[in-house]
Amino acid sequence: MKGLLALLTFILLAALLGPALLPWPYDAIDWNAVRAAPSAAHWLGTDGVGRDLLARTLMGTRITLSVAVAAALVAMLIGTAWGAVAGWAGGRVDDLMMRTVDALYALPFMFVVILLMVVFGRSILLVFLGIGAVEWLTMARVVRGQVIQLKARPFILAAEAAGSPAHATLIRHVLPNIAGVALAYLMLTLPQVVMVESFLSFLGLGVQEPMTSLGILVKDGADDMDLMPHALLVPGAVLVTLLLCLTLLGERLRERFAA
Amino acid sequence: MLTLILRRLATAIPTLFAVILLSFLLMRFAPGGPFDGERPLDPATRAALITAYGMDQPLPVQFTRYVGNLAQGDFGPSLVYRDFTVTQLVAKGLPVSLTLGALALLLALTLGVASGLAAAMKPGGRADRSIGLIATLLTVLPSFVTAPALVLVFALGLGWLPVSGWGEGAPRHLVLPVIALALPAAGAIAKLTRAGLTEVLGQDHVRAARARGLSPLRTLTRHALRPALVPVASYVGPTAAGLLTGAVVIETIFALPGLGRYFVQGALNRDYPLVLGVVTLYAALIILFNLLADLAYGWLDPRVRG
Repeated sequence: MKGLLALLTFILLAALLGPALLPWPYDAIDWNAVRAAPSAAHWLGTDGVGRDLLARTLMGTRITLSVAVAAALVAMLIGTAWGAVAGWAGGRVDDLMMRTVDALYALPFMFVVILLMVVFGRSILLVFLGIGAVEWLTMARVVRGQVIQLKARPFILAAEAAGSPAHATLIRHVLPNIAGVALAYLMLTLPQVVMVESFLSFLGLGVQEPMTSLGILVKDGADDMDLMPHALLVPGAVLVTLLLCLTLLGERLRERFAA
Repeated sequence: MLTLILRRLATAIPTLFAVILLSFLLMRFAPGGPFDGERPLDPATRAALITAYGMDQPLPVQFTRYVGNLAQGDFGPSLVYRDFTVTQLVAKGLPVSLTLGALALLLALTLGVASGLAAAMKPGGRADRSIGLIATLLTVLPSFVTAPALVLVFALGLGWLPVSGWGEGAPRHLVLPVIALALPAAGAIAKLTRAGLTEVLGQDHVRAARARGLSPLRTLTRHALRPALVPVASYVGPTAAGLLTGAVVIETIFALPGLGRYFVQGALNRDYPLVLGVVTLYAALIILFNLLADLAYGWLDPRVRG
């Protein structure tokens, strides 16, 4: 657990501070060093148009993480609101809302996201809105379950008996009690969102050049892998480490708060 | 059983219809049409093309016509591959995607159930812990990272297998794509099998079987494995869906002429009928797989029937 957190913190700090510390911006082109091997000037070498790969990897990590956090927050907001209202209202409203979630689960999501990207142009804002809008379903189910359990607890009944209006009870008494579970699922949503963003960017439908993300770097690296395998392996390793840390931490949190 | 199928179909058909309507509307409201290429078309030609494809009609008319044709298996003409109908493109791509997906599913199930079994034999043991770690690693390894890495080692490095291409479906060409596609699913199936088994192994009917003197292996295969596979069966539907999406990337990386490649090309070129056709088909397949998974569920665990 501590090791994982340390590794994740290191990646976060590197992505946050790294780009500012390097002499090369992520999009600066050095025509004297195209596909350069790693050296003292370019620690990871350069890509096909002479851009520093270390700078690009750090920037790509930053973009991937920002998109992931933003999209996961969108997913958490929609999911928590939907699940809380469904669980609190109960009866027909609950039935209708959860049926909708069931139906949405059956949609081929990746294709809906790709359609959204194709239709509304490929901006980062849309990438995370699109992903966030399709990743909220699990959150809605979990939160609903929690709210239904909480509803029968004495302190909620006491609040109701004391005349607290429904919205106040929800915000003041119910939401704080589902925060832990919501946080655990937020952590578990993060790697999924990272995966979707990289997937889209890999296909050329997500983040656009010259801006970069881990998906784009893996794609570029795969194109050049016969000449310089490290261009594929380094961003690939960063991506996998990130996904692994987030997944393992999320699973630990879930064990602690759910169950 | 029949009522289960009918009940599922009753929700499946509206879902499919919603997918078609949603993707139809999205594509029609998209800024930039299929005829807005790099070079602007002559206005008369443009108008003629739009009339020829019926895109000047009101939207409800276009949609009704599209659904009507769809019901007869006609997906309409491709706007970019001018000499082909979407039905022809789908007929070419679908066998490739299905071969790839079926082989990957088979491999994932074999690997996943076998390693899940091995892990559950001795919970907390060394094998269990290492299998657990490897399975988690596999589930987070994106196929677009594993696939190029596999190519790097086995095709470019060792030269054992071809780098890409379909090769008329020759087994050599299928090895790397199938492995890359199967690995994440194999990891998830291993975890589910292990979880299902450890739970079932503590239940009364399994302990009773052991008490009657059945060997551990026989207890496992006769009494424990079937109910333990219930969570796996419910995962197969979504897995099949995941394999289809994963296939989009795998087909792109290995230059395989499957549905996924047509989908990506269609999406990048705004080829409405092609994208619509492929999304509809994917949705139908996913719904079908979920239905099959539900049926398998009932077969594996009689308690959920009815």
